Amino acid sequence: MPKLTIDNLEVTVPEGINVLEAARELDIIIPHFCYHEALGSVGSCRLCAMMFVDGPVKGLQMACMIQAQDGMVVSSTDPDAIELREHVIEWAMTNHPHDCPVCDEGGECQLQEMTVAGGHGVRRYSGKKCTFTNQNLGPFVQQEMNRCITCYRCVRTYRDYCGGTDYGVFGSRNRIQYARFREGALESPFSGNIIDACPTGVLTSKPFRFKTRLWDLQEAPSICPHCSLGCATVPGGRYREVQRVKAGINRETNGFFICDRGRFGYDHVNHPERPRQGRLDGQPVTVNAALLAAREQVTAIASKHGPDSVAFLGSSRSSFEASVLLHDWAKATGSQQLVFEAHQGRDRAARTLTAQLGKHVRSQEELRQSDLVILFGADPLAEGPMLALAIRQAVRNGGKVVVIDPRPVELPCAASYLPLSPEKLPEVLVALGKKDFNAFEADERVLLESLVEQLKSAQRPVLIGGADLLGGKGVQALCAAAEKFTSDERSVGVITLLAGPNSYGGALLAGDGPDFDSILDAVQEGTVRALVCLESDPFREARDPARAHAALGHLELLVSFDSTPNLAAQRADIFLPTRANAEMAGSYVNNEGRLQAFMPVIDPGVPIRETGAGNHPPREFFQITPGSSPEADWLLLAGLLERELDLVGLRESIEKDHPPFAGLSSIAAETTGVRLTAQGTLPPAEEQELPHAADSEALTLMAITGQIGSCWLAHLSSPLAATEPQPYVILHPELAAELNLAADERARLTTHFGHCHIVIRTDEKMLKSLILVPQLWDTALEGMVPGGMLDCRLEKEAQR
Amino acid sequence: MNAYTQVLFKNRRSNETVLLPEYEKSGGYQGLRAAMKMTPAEVCELIKGSGLRGRGGAGFPTGIKWSFFPADQPGDKYLVCNGDEMEPGTYKDRQLLLADPHQLIEGMAIASYALQTQIGYIFLRYAYEDCFQRVERAIEEAVEVGYLGKNILGSGFDVELHVHGSAGRYILGEETSQLNGLEGRRPNPRSKPPFPAQRGLFGRPTNVNNVETLATVPHILTHGTAWFQNLALNPESAGTKLFGLSGHLNRPECFELPLGITLREVVEDFGGGVRGGKKFKACLPGGASTPYLTADHLDVMMDFNPLEEVESRLGTAGVTVFDEDTCMVAVTRNLNQFFARESCGWCTPCRDGLATISWLLDRIEFGQATNDDLAMLKDQVKNIKGRSFCALAEGAMGPVEALLRLFEDEIKDHIRKGCCPFASN
Amino acid sequence: MTEFLPQNQIDSFKAKAAAIAHPHEMIVDLLRAIQLHHGWVPDDGVLLTAATLGVLPIEVEEVATFYDKIFRREVGKRVIHVCDSICCWATGAEMITEHLKKALGIGLGETTTDGIFTLLPTCCLGACGDAPAMMIGFTTHGLLTTEKIDDILQKERAAVAAEIFA
Ligand SMILES: Cc1cc2nc3c(=O)[nH]c(=O)nc-3n(C[C@H](O)[C@H](O)[C@H](O)COP(=O)(O)O)c2cc1C
Ligand code: SF4
Ligand code: FES
Repeated sequence: MPKLTIDNLEVTVPEGINVLEAARELDIIIPHFCYHEALGSVGSCRLCAMMFVDGPVKGLQMACMIQAQDGMVVSSTDPDAIELREHVIEWAMTNHPHDCPVCDEGGECQLQEMTVAGGHGVRRYSGKKCTFTNQNLGPFVQQEMNRCITCYRCVRTYRDYCGGTDYGVFGSRNRIQYARFREGALESPFSGNIIDACPTGVLTSKPFRFKTRLWDLQEAPSICPHCSLGCATVPGGRYREVQRVKAGINRETNGFFICDRGRFGYDHVNHPERPRQGRLDGQPVTVNAALLAAREQVTAIASKHGPDSVAFLGSSRSSFEASVLLHDWAKATGSQQLVFEAHQGRDRAARTLTAQLGKHVRSQEELRQSDLVILFGADPLAEGPMLALAIRQAVRNGGKVVVIDPRPVELPCAASYLPLSPEKLPEVLVALGKKDFNAFEADERVLLESLVEQLKSAQRPVLIGGADLLGGKGVQALCAAAEKFTSDERSVGVITLLAGPNSYGGALLAGDGPDFDSILDAVQEGTVRALVCLESDPFREARDPARAHAALGHLELLVSFDSTPNLAAQRADIFLPTRANAEMAGSYVNNEGRLQAFMPVIDPGVPIRETGAGNHPPREFFQITPGSSPEADWLLLAGLLERELDLVGLRESIEKDHPPFAGLSSIAAETTGVRLTAQGTLPPAEEQELPHAADSEALTLMAITGQIGSCWLAHLSSPLAATEPQPYVILHPELAAELNLAADERARLTTHFGHCHIVIRTDEKMLKSLILVPQLWDTALEGMVPGGMLDCRLEKEAQR
Repeated sequence: MNAYTQVLFKNRRSNETVLLPEYEKSGGYQGLRAAMKMTPAEVCELIKGSGLRGRGGAGFPTGIKWSFFPADQPGDKYLVCNGDEMEPGTYKDRQLLLADPHQLIEGMAIASYALQTQIGYIFLRYAYEDCFQRVERAIEEAVEVGYLGKNILGSGFDVELHVHGSAGRYILGEETSQLNGLEGRRPNPRSKPPFPAQRGLFGRPTNVNNVETLATVPHILTHGTAWFQNLALNPESAGTKLFGLSGHLNRPECFELPLGITLREVVEDFGGGVRGGKKFKACLPGGASTPYLTADHLDVMMDFNPLEEVESRLGTAGVTVFDEDTCMVAVTRNLNQFFARESCGWCTPCRDGLATISWLLDRIEFGQATNDDLAMLKDQVKNIKGRSFCALAEGAMGPVEALLRLFEDEIKDHIRKGCCPFASN
Repeated sequence: MTEFLPQNQIDSFKAKAAAIAHPHEMIVDLLRAIQLHHGWVPDDGVLLTAATLGVLPIEVEEVATFYDKIFRREVGKRVIHVCDSICCWATGAEMITEHLKKALGIGLGETTTDGIFTLLPTCCLGACGDAPAMMIGFTTHGLLTTEKIDDILQKERAAVAAEIFA
């Protein structure tokens, strides 16, 4: 560990970091533009000048380009260094339009900060300025090229880090332009990161444009609610709405970036149809009244028909605290009917994972360092996009990637593909462990045999699975394979993509309770009479929505706690409005068992944009904020159970009752979180298979999670909803040819749900025998619950 | 009329190119034969001992560069010949390639052997289509008789050469941007370290040398180091050098002259003196990036170290002469405009600093400047020099700095008079 | 898209690209070939380059826009590069350029209305001994005088006319 002196202060720093970072360890911030921890040093802006007074390097140098070494004596206050930094800013500002008053970056503009920090105050250049033509880059990113200072950070983020292929740098000298080849929407699912990466107002968020000056924005550290990875975010709100999200920094999970779903998926909070009032038998009531009614009626049914006549359905969207309280409520009631995930495969995958992950646990950061990544039935861009970016970094660090999946899993990096049917995924994992590939085709065998060798020799291998396709059996096989290939020197890592931000937390609490499918049977039979839904929608999340609809009609009592206008919320006899994650404090347990805290950004309320009906200020005035009754899920349950109402106290009491969750009371937002050591319980052995009427004439359809359109919260967010595709199916070009269908053509899809019109997409990477259909909310494909297999017919649209 | 020993230009005739038979007759490919009888390390040692310094502008000792090269490292290694030659006032490589291109081919074959590279690229600028064709023809001739290709001269050693035609831009002369250019990437320079010898073309060890440097190598192998050292007039130096003369001279031509010759001899005897009987005012001794020399320097030796002693550089030895009626602000303005326009746009001091200097020089030249502008010009130079990512901006500061050092009075004259004092000429 | 380059050339580029480890290294070659054939490189020429070499269009465009001798806008049948660097400047390049502008009736960066000539300034052509100089196509003309320029322009015009009627 080198020891050096910076501005007369001694500091010992980790091997391999540069002097700019070393200075940061002493809280000395050296102005810089082009350097970025995730993007590395390129030395192009020349701003981070420091004087190397003594030691192995001498003279004025760019601090980002010099590795910290023993015996260095460095000064950031040397007059030459100060003078150069002042000049670099002056140059960077040469062509700048000085339009700060109307610039959306104002308030967090690094250029502005550096201009002040650099000491450049008076413009000396009075010549002509270069100007540029802007491009329309689509719905997310606004470009204003004239503000550019040519730091190259956007291309380095978009192309190098995120693997985008449609944005670059053109021209030379002082006429450098960053743009697409032709105007059009940015294609990368990580495009929004260039907004964060740009240090000035060239690239700003289009949905956030003109909404709020940044110094008026309320922000707080949060955790993204859109998938199970638990990426750090910083939502910003004003005027009673969440207006934007930027990436938070967590070096163990997302690093510095997030995906576009996480960035632009905030608007569900502001959804105009969001239920904001307590409701009892169709009538609006106070939250308190609804809460009392819920407790009374649940208790009444339980005492009349036995504790097991009440079932509890949690969800991966709920806070960990609320999930614990739901568990406690079921226990207090004496009911065994507690599930945290309506979808059987996802539920079993999560529970199996918590029971078996053990030492195989890996973070996104560990994945970025992996030298061999094998995906078994995992489609990161659909099920957890930032994982795809972590895989890309592994590849950039020299790692290899293999995809074993029926789907054409897209990745922002090179990979080899082995298409296999979903039933074969657990089999292939078992076969790998046994090195017995007799059940596979010759060409498959070649790849699998080489995989065994690679797995043996890799230093930091990671196996990745997805809950949608693997289910409990698959995840069990995944963990077993990891165990098989683990040696004394190194263990094989496992990462599994689960359904939501707290899937792991819920699974830890689920124990060996029933599947939701058996609860549905019990409802149908009349043994379960009441169902409490905590931020879950059994009508649409169960494996077989038709069966759920049929069964749930028999319920005597449906209680729903929710922050979104889903079917359970609409149909509930008793409804309790909950806060969205940006409106509350709480915690989630991500897919590696990492417990992370989030903080409230705004209080709930109908956005002023709505109450003002376009007028500003609004013309009507109320004593209480309209729509402000939603409360944190855990607070509602704590009230109902007469528990501690303050979060710190609640967490302490949870810790006391559940020793494996030790650490809960000490977690803080904006940290890397704590990995729980708690181990879950395997789900009961017998798994219900969905009836799958094999019609020999029919084709088999598999429902999948789409990259866009399958995420409920994202669907409720207008910036993302605007990008949702028309219903489509994906099939192998050979199958398409057999069916006399071509890409982009419209066709008719028939299933037991009926007919619908869809657009054909083809992809050569996928399995030849399947037709893939994404679940798309509020379309004819809404009932396509991922992982499900159906018989279908696919025909050319009749000529009109 | 050139009494000095001609090495590179010994076969040169106007408007003609030497073909293989004539080249061989004049001793061509003897150097390669000699080299193949030595070990690669011995060849490097010989070049090191010869005192040959790079002819591309920086003057780095070629043998030392070669001895740093990881010739033993297994896997792909490359040799690149830098024929970008885009620095204004420089046209010597073109003359060499037009006259007698086999010298380069032979030099590259020797260098490939010495450095154990398998593939060589000859990088030629866009405007040198004429050279492109001659070099391609020379390669074909050499392949046909086995000086190039598989198993050259029955040695078991292979040499493959390709010619790459560029598409403009001075920065491609900088060796690391040239590597990016050859790879088909944006030709911004790369940071050093890692040096090309460690990580060059396609990430593999690569050696870059100038055309003239490589063309000189065969002659050293044929005639030995003592002979090579004796070619120079300066006992501390070695070899001849191509001097491309231009500007206000009666005879603006390219000559092969010994290193150490005086500027006076170059200008008066070879350049035929300043045209129109005018007085010599100043010159660029070695291309657009070298600080001016004035009449006070006429007796300085045209060689690497002596020119550094007078705060200039030999550079590419393209001598551009200005007569007494020339406005040095205007000269500098023209030079700086070139550098500003050819900046690759990677680093701030060069991309925006050179443009700022252009703006200041415009103001001075057109009589709009004040003393503040002069002060600003000085602080710009101070903060660009040594602060840019690559040597382009550093080179651009050569003339500007010399303007401030040698001709500040002329700048002040512009400011005082509110116009260019030379404007009527 | 084939009109930008004869099919046999496309095929041979494709074959070469498939045979080498780094097809990017042929981007400049292919752009130059398209320009030689078509006079300049339109958007579709960039796409053709990308498709032929199996690289991204953006990668081709990033390179194409860097170089000043790749024309991404339409130019005349003859591009005149008049040198404005130091040696030519010292020997009358400004006068030469003025003469060219007058003779062609256009400014720098413009194309004559008949589409024959485009006039562009260029940095040093490596013809410093023959300054002032200009380059038309790949041919360098040195020691320029106004008479010599008039003569060259007339010959080029006649050559273009001959090409059109051929
Ligand atoms: C901006 C710039 C332009 C250059 N142009 C050339 C050039 O045109 N030809 C050349 O041989 N070297 C040029 N060089 C120098 C090369 O980077 C490199 O040092 C040289 O090719 C090494 O060859 P040598 O050691 O044989 O001289 C240039 C350097 C810079 C910084
Ligand atoms: S000094 Fe900077 S901008 Fe100029 S050519 Fe070099 S890297 Fe490019
Ligand atoms: S941050 Fe160091 S040069 Fe840009």
